[in-house]
Amino acid sequence: SEPPASSSSPSGLVSVLVDSRCITACVDVVSSLRQRYAVTAHVCSLDGCDFVVSNRMAVERQSQSELAGMPNRKRLVERVTSLQVLFERVCLIVEKDRTKPGEASRPFQHTRYYDSTLASLVRAGVRLLVSGGPEESAALLAELARLEQRKGQAISVPLEVKGHRQQALLFYQTLPCVSYVNALNMSHSFRSVGQLVNSSIEALQKGACVSRPRAEEIYRCLRYSCDTTLMTTNTPKNGL
Amino acid sequence: MEIKPPVFVNAVPPYGHVIANEKWRGSVLVQSLKGTGSVKTIYEEELGVVDFHLSNKSCILYVSETDIVAGNNYKRKLVRFRNANSSLQGIVVVEKTRLSEQYFSAMQKFVVFELGLTLLPVASQLEASQLLTQIVHGESKDNPFRRRSVSRLLDPLVMSLVQQIPGVGKVKAMALLQHYSSIHQLCNAGTHELEHIVGQATAHHIHHFFHNPLV
Repeated sequence: SEPPASSSSPSGLVSVLVDSRCITACVDVVSSLRQRYAVTAHVCSLDGCDFVVSNRMAVERQSQSELAGMPNRKRLVERVTSLQVLFERVCLIVEKDRTKPGEASRPFQHTRYYDSTLASLVRAGVRLLVSGGPEESAALLAELARLEQRKGQAISVPLEVKGHRQQALLFYQTLPCVSYVNALNMSHSFRSVGQLVNSSIEALQKGACVSRPRAEEIYRCLRYSCDTTLMTTNTPKNGL
Repeated sequence: MEIKPPVFVNAVPPYGHVIANEKWRGSVLVQSLKGTGSVKTIYEEELGVVDFHLSNKSCILYVSETDIVAGNNYKRKLVRFRNANSSLQGIVVVEKTRLSEQYFSAMQKFVVFELGLTLLPVASQLEASQLLTQIVHGESKDNPFRRRSVSRLLDPLVMSLVQQIPGVGKVKAMALLQHYSSIHQLCNAGTHELEHIVGQATAHHIHHFFHNPLV
C-alpha cells in the first residue's frame, strides 16, 4: 500500500466518515453528500458520533426538538463530553424538524431550557450550525470537510482496513484520546504495532495526526507501569 | 478626523448585568432582559460596533432583520466586530424571520466558516433577550458540556490494551503484566521469555502482533 502522505486525494475530493448506526436516520444526508457534493462518504462504526469530517473534527446532528427535550439531555451531555476527549473540534448541526406532508410548518418556540442548552454548548466551545433540513445539513458537512481540507486536516488515508491492520486498529482505538480516524492514520503510518510503541512523541503526533498534548497522553500510556495488585478486583470495561 | 477605538471596555460587567450599547436604551430587548430575565443593564456610549458585553467575557453583535434585508452593510460590521474582539468570544445574534430566512444560509457561511464566530438565530428581540438571559445566568452554573480533564486511571486501560492482542484473555494479560508492567516493555520482550509465561502459541501470537508488518 502507498504511504499516507503522498496518497492525499485530488483537490476537491474529500472524505467524510459516517457512523453505521446513524445510517438509517442519515440516509438522505449521505446520498446528498455523495451525489450533490461529490464527497466520499464512508460508512463505518464510529462509536460515538454521527460524522467525522477531518482528522480532528467530529460532527453530531440533532433535530431542534431533540435538543429542546429534557429526556435527551443526559445522552447529549455524554456524547458531547466524550467527543471532546477524542476530537480537537466538535460541531453540532441543529436541524429543523421534518414536517409531515400536509402539515403546516409551525415556527419553533425557544424554551428557556433550549436557550440554556445552547448557551452551555457555546460556552463549552462546541461549534453550532443551524440547518433547515437534510439537504442543507449535507451542504454544511461538505463545506466543513472542504474547510478542514484547506487547513491540511483532511482524512487522507485509505478508508478500508483489512487483515492484520484490523487487529492493530482495535488496539489503537483502545489508546486514550485516539478516535477511529486517528487509529486509521496510525494503522497506515506505522510499519508495525511495535514501531508505534517505540515511537517518539513527535512521531506519534505526526503519524496519528493528533495534537501535541494528545500525543503525550498516548506516549505516557504506552510506557505506563501498571500495578497489577490494583487490578485483582473487577476492572471497568474498556477503562472508560 | 477623529478616530474612535472600535470597542471600549471599561470594566467587566458585574454578575447578572450586561453592558449595552447606548443605542439599545428603551428597546424591547433591554426591557425584557430587566422584566422577565432579571438581568440589569448598564449603558455605555463607547461600545463601538459591539451591542452587548456579557459577564462571561463574551460579546454580542446583533444583526436585525432590517440589516439583513437592507443589504451588505452588516458584512463590514461583522468583520470589524471580529477584528475588535480577539480576546472575547464573539457571538452574532441574527434575526431569522420569514423575511430574512432566505439570506440566512449565506450569512451562516460567512459568520461561522469565514469569520470563525458563533452564530445564534432568534425570531425576535424578545427571543434574543431570553437567550441572552440564559447566557448571563449560565455563567454561574456548572457547565455539563465543559471538557473535563481526563485523569482516569491508566491501569485498567493498559489491561484492556493487552487483551486486544489475539489469544490473550484476562488471565494471560494479568500474568504478562506481572512480568512486563508496561506495553512498551511487553512489546520489546523476547519470544523465549514470553513462552515461560504464556506458552509457545500465545508467545508467538504476541510477537506476531507487535512485529509483523501491517499489510
